[in-house]
Amino acid sequence: MFADLRLRLRALFQRAQMEQELENELRFHLDRETEKHVRAGMSLADARRRARLEFGGVERIKDDVRDARGVGALDRVTQDLRYAARMLRARPGFTAAIVLTLGLGIGANAAMFGIIDRLLFRAPKYLIAPERVHRVFVSYIWDAQPRTERSIEYVRYTNLSAWTNAFDVTAVAAYRNLAVGTGDAAREMPVAVTSASFFDLFSAHPVIGRWFSREEDKPPMGTTVAVISYPYWQLTYAGSPNVLGRTLQIDRRIYTIVGVAPPGFVGITDQSSPAAFIPASAFAGSRNANYDHEYGWSWLDMFARRKETVPVTAANAELSTAYARTWDSEREASGSSGVTSRDAQARAFAAPVQLSRGPDAGPESKVASWVMAVAAIVLLIACANVANLLLARAVARRREIALRLALGVTRWRLIQQLLTETMLLAALGAIAGVAFAQWGGAALRTLILRDAEVSPVVQDPRTLLFVAGAALIVAVLTGLAPALQAAQADVAGTLKAGAREGTYHRSRLRTALLLFQGAFSLVLLVGAGLFMRSLANVRAERLGYDVDAVVYAEGVDRGVNLTDAAARALIQRLQDAARSTPGVTSASLTISVPFWSSEGRGAPKVPGRDSLSRLGRFMLQAGSPSYFETLGTRILRGRSFTESDNERAPPVALVSETMARVVWPGQDALGKVMRIGTDTMPYMTVIGVVEDIRSRDIRGDREFTYYMPIAQYNARYGDARPAFFIRTSGNAADFAPVLQRRMQREMPGASYIRAMPLRSLVAPQEQSWQFGATMFVAFGGLALVLAAIGLYSVVTYAVAQRVHELGVRIALGADVGDVVRLVLRQGVLFALGGIAIGSAIAIVAARAVQPLLYRESAYDIVVYGAVAALLLTVAVIATLRPALWATRVNPTEALRSD
Amino acid sequence: MSDRLDLPQGTLDLLILKSLSLAPQHGWAISERIHQVSRETLQVPQGSLYPALHRLERQGWISAEWGASDNNRRAKFYELTRAGRRQLEAETDAWKKLTDAVDLVLRMA
Repeated sequence: MFADLRLRLRALFQRAQMEQELENELRFHLDRETEKHVRAGMSLADARRRARLEFGGVERIKDDVRDARGVGALDRVTQDLRYAARMLRARPGFTAAIVLTLGLGIGANAAMFGIIDRLLFRAPKYLIAPERVHRVFVSYIWDAQPRTERSIEYVRYTNLSAWTNAFDVTAVAAYRNLAVGTGDAAREMPVAVTSASFFDLFSAHPVIGRWFSREEDKPPMGTTVAVISYPYWQLTYAGSPNVLGRTLQIDRRIYTIVGVAPPGFVGITDQSSPAAFIPASAFAGSRNANYDHEYGWSWLDMFARRKETVPVTAANAELSTAYARTWDSEREASGSSGVTSRDAQARAFAAPVQLSRGPDAGPESKVASWVMAVAAIVLLIACANVANLLLARAVARRREIALRLALGVTRWRLIQQLLTETMLLAALGAIAGVAFAQWGGAALRTLILRDAEVSPVVQDPRTLLFVAGAALIVAVLTGLAPALQAAQADVAGTLKAGAREGTYHRSRLRTALLLFQGAFSLVLLVGAGLFMRSLANVRAERLGYDVDAVVYAEGVDRGVNLTDAAARALIQRLQDAARSTPGVTSASLTISVPFWSSEGRGAPKVPGRDSLSRLGRFMLQAGSPSYFETLGTRILRGRSFTESDNERAPPVALVSETMARVVWPGQDALGKVMRIGTDTMPYMTVIGVVEDIRSRDIRGDREFTYYMPIAQYNARYGDARPAFFIRTSGNAADFAPVLQRRMQREMPGASYIRAMPLRSLVAPQEQSWQFGATMFVAFGGLALVLAAIGLYSVVTYAVAQRVHELGVRIALGADVGDVVRLVLRQGVLFALGGIAIGSAIAIVAARAVQPLLYRESAYDIVVYGAVAALLLTVAVIATLRPALWATRVNPTEALRSD
Repeated sequence: MSDRLDLPQGTLDLLILKSLSLAPQHGWAISERIHQVSRETLQVPQGSLYPALHRLERQGWISAEWGASDNNRRAKFYELTRAGRRQLEAETDAWKKLTDAVDLVLRMA
């Protein structure tokens, strides 16, 4: 057994040496035999001849020896491979077409697989027992609406940890963009703010130094120690081991570096990798003195590793009980106002760590799953195309195959050989596919995963494994039909049939493949149409403000303590700096930013009406008199704020259109009063009604928004932060860096200005449609091209087969039009068939796609019609060339060619 | 020439194993030895000798090593392994049983 294995391995790896040894062994034998004959009195020449004669054919013996050694099977494979390579080289155009087709199909799938894997399956690097590590979510009913959240308070985390028994490890983490470094070197970078226990979830060890300890993560203030990430260490400290003990300002405090995380360690995040890890207590302590015993500041994601013996249901039950307890102690702390945990149905549960698999999954993971299916269809179309080409060639090779069968090649050997050919093609296709995925995949990844770091295809073993699997399936799918067909060849019949390669007959299989291609191209293109229209609808949606003209800028304070007067002076200076920038038309202070941050102060109270909170969520916005002009939000009735609506003037407010209609149904909201908070607060008079805005969910219901003058807001709630909307006369994206520099000059100490076009905050909201549209267009286009190539090759082949028949027709007086019509008819029939079948499939799938669309019916007749027209046009174009070619058939030649 | 016999099917392996039972030999010597010991009755078909040797090696009954032959040329020497020795005994027994039985039948019938 062992000897066998050793020899087989040698046969594989030391082939040349073994061949040489065999040669020597046989030569030695011949020499000895010759010597023997010489000794018996023969001449050397005679002896040699006699020895050879007796020995027999050296090559045949070598073959037998190889067989005896068990290298024969391997030899056959290499022989098949060589033969296949020769066949492929002989027809480079054909080979290139197939490799390209398969490459596109496999590449599309490889790229999508990388993304899906990343979104849904792959566990974070270094994570121990990923199947038992969970992200904790809480859910409750608020304002009559069920809500699910993953951000919790620090104190709630300590409660949940203390009051549950189901977990080995509980930890928290928040990934925040914080200013790292000092002076000019300061950059805003993602920083992981974590509990010390967070590192217990991983099997990673710092490359130098250590993680921070529980002692260093003790509330309230913690210890200012930091572990920096490997890339940050390389980039900023050039990988110097002396980095330990050095200090680094992060956010408002100065941290001492105690360790460097290993390469690839990011903790648990979908976004770009953090520059540093700092203790949750050290960060929180500098922001909020009461974070460790007061509820209200929800900023952390909680992670927990379930004990091996505890099932998820039991863990969830424990978590829910503990969460209800925290809910009630929060209620007690606030003087027993608000809802009890029972009424709120407060519960907590353990979800997978991957956000895309949890309740918070964005539409991108759903869309990505769809696109994966689409990519698979493209691959199937590519396979159908290749199978079709191979079938066409198999017909052309019928005589060759029949001849080989007649010469005694077994059918099984023949199938092996043909499959080797498709394997080789699939392997080449896979290589091309990896190249395509590498190149096109980068674009894809930035589209879906934004700044998440994903290893490129060629470095990712999982994706490569997937590609290999896909190639194998492709080889079997494309190779089986032609191989089986060849193996059934009728030897005598084919050889007898003569040079005309038999008569023209349609293959049912090939017709089916072609219809399949057409049908799925239609399905994908319909998808493309639906997503494109959805995207257009989203873009055309008025959000209630001008997105492209406005820059949002805010001052970020880094531990510079200003007096109230100095802070007010700073805001004034910043506002002046913004307004004096050329191209800026107006600027306004703001407290809320769409899709970024918002302020809710509960539902207002209105005389004569019960609690309004059950109507939905009310958002508070405050701004300068120039607010509406700056944002472009239209005032429908009444007036805007003026400078005289200050803290000494009577309180005023503007309300959104829908809010006015719902709160004061059938009445004019102007002049009505409302108040926020307790009954001691003064009433505000409504002085204007403005159009609705969307600031939380682009698809959501109309929001209720009310506006206060910033002066009155400041007087009531304390001064707002320096945050501005700035309207520019051009493209806001160009102005953001200019404004950043201009306003930065006014900032004291290490504080800095962050400026971004409003569009960059809105764009992620459109992403899933943008992504769906791009993907469906790309893949749909690919499918259409493949189908067109398929149709072209089939029709061309059919024409070639019918040269004789066409010759007869022309000889009998058919004119050019007749011939063209004859050929075109074939293409058009295929297209119509594909359209009919594809439409049926699309209509069945429509229901599942509908929720992904925006204000677009999945049955949109315009889209279906346009795609059908496109398909027909392409079919005609693809058939036109063979049709014209058919008209040039020379009847005399065609008839004589036998 | 006419007193030469072709080897019955399956006996070549047995003869090779037997001729290796005394000392390691190279291929040519094996065929010579069989030829001589059988008083020139048995002629090893040379086309089968080497495939048989390699097959036996693969089965682990003999092992091969390159060494110097009596005229100082490098030759591949085959040697019986322990498994080969057992196999030789088993095959010899089987052969004896077979020939005895055939003998019996020939005499009695």
